Amino acid sequence: MKEEQDQALVKRTLRGDKKAFEMIVRKYQQPLLNYVGRMVGEREMALDFTQDVFVRAYASLRSYEPRFKFSTWLYKIASNLIIDHWRKKKLPTFSLSEPLDPEEDCLTLDVPDGEPGVSRKFELAELRLRIETALEKLPGPLRELFVWRHVNELSYEEMAEIKDLPLGTIKNRVFQAKEMVRRLLQEMS
Amino acid sequence: MKCSKINDIYDYIEGSLAPERTQELERHLGTCPSCRRAVEDRRLVAGAASGLPPFAVPEDFTDQVMARIAPLKIKPPVWLIILAFASAWLAVASVILLASGKSVLGIISGASHSLWEYVKGAAVFTAKAATLLTLAGKTLRPLAEACYKGFSALTSIIDPGFQALILVLALGLVVSLFFGMRKKLSLGE
Repeated sequence: MKEEQDQALVKRTLRGDKKAFEMIVRKYQQPLLNYVGRMVGEREMALDFTQDVFVRAYASLRSYEPRFKFSTWLYKIASNLIIDHWRKKKLPTFSLSEPLDPEEDCLTLDVPDGEPGVSRKFELAELRLRIETALEKLPGPLRELFVWRHVNELSYEEMAEIKDLPLGTIKNRVFQAKEMVRRLLQEMS
Repeated sequence: MKCSKINDIYDYIEGSLAPERTQELERHLGTCPSCRRAVEDRRLVAGAASGLPPFAVPEDFTDQVMARIAPLKIKPPVWLIILAFASAWLAVASVILLASGKSVLGIISGASHSLWEYVKGAAVFTAKAATLLTLAGKTLRPLAEACYKGFSALTSIIDPGFQALILVLALGLVVSLFFGMRKKLSLGE
């Protein structure tokens, strides 16, 4: 139903109804800003980037293929914009399809006996603050997946479609991101 | 727990683990406090991450986006384009009919007469061109034969090594002439 509404709004926009696009902006500005904000860090830059995503989406709306979900198409535009930004800033990045270092590629349980887990040591609000700090330290491509999964609540299928990668690869990378966040939380405690 | 089991734990937390694997894992968790703590810890982190606070969207954000987008060029449907062309053609045809003062049949027969005249003219031109080509062939053939004989006689006199040298020099001359002409004619890249 939600997807059908999006498709209808896209059709109306293509017929010249700017109000329909305004509805799209209102619908997706919050989730996109939640994602972009955590990817670029600075609030003002995040607002500019999110605006750019909508401007780009509007300009290339004719190239949108209705067989894809409109929301994943928007996230794809945003993701490409952020990757361009990382490249321009020469920030370290890597392809999700390439393995990280072999130790990190192999996920293992690492809770020593008798020691309380990291989440038990903090209150919920404190834990959330620390997760935000840990996210800043996470490599960009893994941070992106973590945010999509937990903040934007995207499915693994949607993420695989956005990144154009196999479902198994995406799932493994999301788990890897979660484990990294946990490890960083442990280091903070 | 083995390395591969961590994926099972995340699938278990997300409720996407197969029923038989879920039973197996739950049996294990019943006897292993360390793994139980590991699951609990990851569940708490995931819960906290899913409730990360949203970024505040400024009230005028949508207006700012809408102010940045240029109106889309409306693309008319195909049937409308065809209809427009057909109408335009009919209008032009009607004007010609009115201006000539002739009937539709008169114009069609006049057009077919002109077409026949063109076909006749083209046939005569082709015949004349063919005659000229035959004549040129007959005249040039002895000349080509004499050239071939002269060239054969020359190559039989000159040493093959010397012939190769001449060829290389000629090739060099052609290449240098080509590049010289390129510069003069400013053909550039």
